[in-house]
Amino acid sequence: MKGIVGYAVRLPAYSISRDEIARAWQCSSPGGQKRCIRFDEDALTLAAAAAQDCLGSLNGLTVTGLLFASTTAPHLERLNSSLIAAVCDLPSACATIDLSSSLRGAASGLLMALSLVNGGQGESILVCAGDTREADLGSAEEMLLGDAGAAIAVGNQNVIAELLATATVYDDFLDTVRRDRDEFITSFASKFSADRGYLAPMQSAIQCALKQAGVTVQQVSKAALSSPDKRSHLQLAKKLGLAESQAQDIRFNDVGLTGSAMPLLVLSGALESAQPGEIILLAAHGNGADALVFRVTENIRNYKVRVPLAKQAAGLAYASYTQYRKARDYYRNVENGLEISNVMYAKEEHQNIRLHGSECYHCGTRQFPVTQVCVSCRRGDQLREIALARTGTVYTFAQDELYPSPFPPTLMAVVDLAGGGRIYCEVVDCSPADVRIGMPVDLTFRKIKEGGGLYHYYWKCCPRRGQ
Amino acid sequence: MSRSLSQEVAVIGVSCTKFGENFDQSLQEMMVEAGTAACQDAGITMDDVQAAWLGTFSPGFGGGKATITLSDALKMRGRPITRVENYCATGTDAFRNAAAAVAAGQYEIVMVLGAEKLRDRAVRGLQREGIHPYLEAGSTAPGLFALFANRYMHTFGTDRRVLAKVAVKNHGNGALNPKAHFQTKVTEEQVLKAQVIAYPFGLYDCCPTTDGAAAAIVCRADLAAHFRKELILLRGAGLAVMSGKPFLDSTVDYLGFPSTTAAAQQAYKQAGISDPVKEVDFCEVHDCFTWTEITNYEDLGFCKKGEGAKFIEEGRSSLTGDVPFNPSGGLKSFGHPVGATGVRMIYEIVTQLRGDAGARQVKDAKLGLAHNLGGPGAVACVVILGREA
Repeated sequence: MKGIVGYAVRLPAYSISRDEIARAWQCSSPGGQKRCIRFDEDALTLAAAAAQDCLGSLNGLTVTGLLFASTTAPHLERLNSSLIAAVCDLPSACATIDLSSSLRGAASGLLMALSLVNGGQGESILVCAGDTREADLGSAEEMLLGDAGAAIAVGNQNVIAELLATATVYDDFLDTVRRDRDEFITSFASKFSADRGYLAPMQSAIQCALKQAGVTVQQVSKAALSSPDKRSHLQLAKKLGLAESQAQDIRFNDVGLTGSAMPLLVLSGALESAQPGEIILLAAHGNGADALVFRVTENIRNYKVRVPLAKQAAGLAYASYTQYRKARDYYRNVENGLEISNVMYAKEEHQNIRLHGSECYHCGTRQFPVTQVCVSCRRGDQLREIALARTGTVYTFAQDELYPSPFPPTLMAVVDLAGGGRIYCEVVDCSPADVRIGMPVDLTFRKIKEGGGLYHYYWKCCPRRGQ
Repeated sequence: MSRSLSQEVAVIGVSCTKFGENFDQSLQEMMVEAGTAACQDAGITMDDVQAAWLGTFSPGFGGGKATITLSDALKMRGRPITRVENYCATGTDAFRNAAAAVAAGQYEIVMVLGAEKLRDRAVRGLQREGIHPYLEAGSTAPGLFALFANRYMHTFGTDRRVLAKVAVKNHGNGALNPKAHFQTKVTEEQVLKAQVIAYPFGLYDCCPTTDGAAAAIVCRADLAAHFRKELILLRGAGLAVMSGKPFLDSTVDYLGFPSTTAAAQQAYKQAGISDPVKEVDFCEVHDCFTWTEITNYEDLGFCKKGEGAKFIEEGRSSLTGDVPFNPSGGLKSFGHPVGATGVRMIYEIVTQLRGDAGARQVKDAKLGLAHNLGGPGAVACVVILGREA
């Protein structure tokens, strides 16, 4: 048996009300809110966060591949998936593949991953996605697009949803386009686009997959359908003969249209409430469509998602459109000149990206970063490299108004990691009034600076999620 | 058994430029002013100086990177010059090294000169240079000290008002000092209501960045009588280095600076001091932030850990208290041109011991202590000078 073995979603902590955007542009609002990144997040960090949460629930399966889908990956040349794999501390023999330029990249990634997991037992491949798409400023789409990361792991052990069938169709149809030189999407949103670019390929792929699975539409419990807008997925459900209630919520009202992440986000939502025996349909669009049919297994009862969607409500909101734009454009406008040597990057990758430290055989002290002489017993011959915990508590902190930031103060903390080791990093997704000594935190991988033609990433921390 | 510096070395000349925004002076001009005045104060000429130690911290702007900065400014040619950089403890460590060379008998008369020009750059705060791009990302000087202050205040229940008292006291002393960067008094209310820099530090809880230079002439003790009638001897000098990244060291409790305690113990031992609060007459300490002075009281052994608040509340560190701290106004008010600060402390101690401090004169000043702190407690240097009867 092969199929889904894990899932996770990472919604950014910040949101903005669509009315607030409409107010800035003096236009009408579709209502609701959308989730949006902080200035130190991007498609990669969102996907990496979801990937880590997903891996944390896998119970020791060997990860042999990591696929990353995005249309807004921070690097056009430099493998984004290899950076995410390093953040996840995966072994170097892990296959790493970027899937770009399609909103159905993550679904295509699932097709690919599922065809790759035929091999050994206890093997798993992670498909993660993140998007932070931009539409022309002041356009109707700007209010629709939301940011999110999501991940699905597939494998052949502890399967929570067994794969029954897949299908794919492509269609070189002119719909939403963003060229290499464009910042914003160009959209041909119209009834023709909805019919020909969305409904037709989705129906075709779905019908093909259901037929192969030997499953009738009536047997489908939940349909995780991507959508190019607020409600085309509902129209599709109806056309398929499903009740609107069977179409899984795409989270338009409170998250937005989440691009490459949407298929995985919607599927995760379906899995969170799935019961053994249920048939779940996943279909994603984008110059054609991919469809996958799954049957939920008994293992779903034992699966524990790291942070359920219900516990990911937006904790923080941008009060104005100006703040929202500032958060998105800060690093674009500020080149703060950090240059590093790639020799140093290579030498310190284990500590800076994989969060490795040292443990002393002699006195047992764990410490960060990788060190040559024990900070506690000062012996230099008793240290071994280890992976440190990615949770901890705030030992002390500072609210720094002096450090350059679009939203001062910068919250900095000394964090004692669970099991030992101490790190110094920024506290994010937290209002200054809430930071305190003893606060439980999760480490989170974020951008720290830009400079020398590079994005620089490192660890920060946020209030413990899911509590 | 290591040999003590005590009684071997005398300070026969000191000088200090006006501290502040010295836009009309270059780094070199400040160095010439300080170096020339120190020689005059000692009654010697530049030709009598056999070697020199230069203390500069931030070489990025206006020179200061190497020994040639001093030789080119003062045209001091053909002699040994050593540059010392040890974070904000640069000045006192330059002095300590010069004293050690004189005590070793290598030279008879040497110069220590600290200088820094920080105001030429239109940036707020001290530039953080040469730090790790990831492990220290997001750090500033006030932010790093706020980590300590917050943990300390959380542990001992200290109020921001206590910190404000340090600012009020040191601004008050600075108001009596014609060379201080700030010569205006502030009220507790002003301090508490000022713009926040890094909580618990408001603007008046932070020392400024400053331009300035200071110099001292150090001489073999047995020769000092040739130059000055009063005899001011080095009684002890200690230096202790801890971690520059205390935030990665889980053995650090963030309640104070063990570097200060270690450096003080070295100096006390050399000076034969067993009870500093009774034996030391006054201190010039590193009050880069108001809380730093509170922990200094404790770390230097003038009161127990956690009792620094009481020490200032009882007025013991005020100009008229039993152990005045920072009669000069301290870094808080005199200013903080990094490499110059430690040498400026030596200048203040000597001026007080001579009884030349005017309105800010400490009564019966016979034994003075200078304490310089570098990094977030990474380095501490303590120098004790005494006037012989």
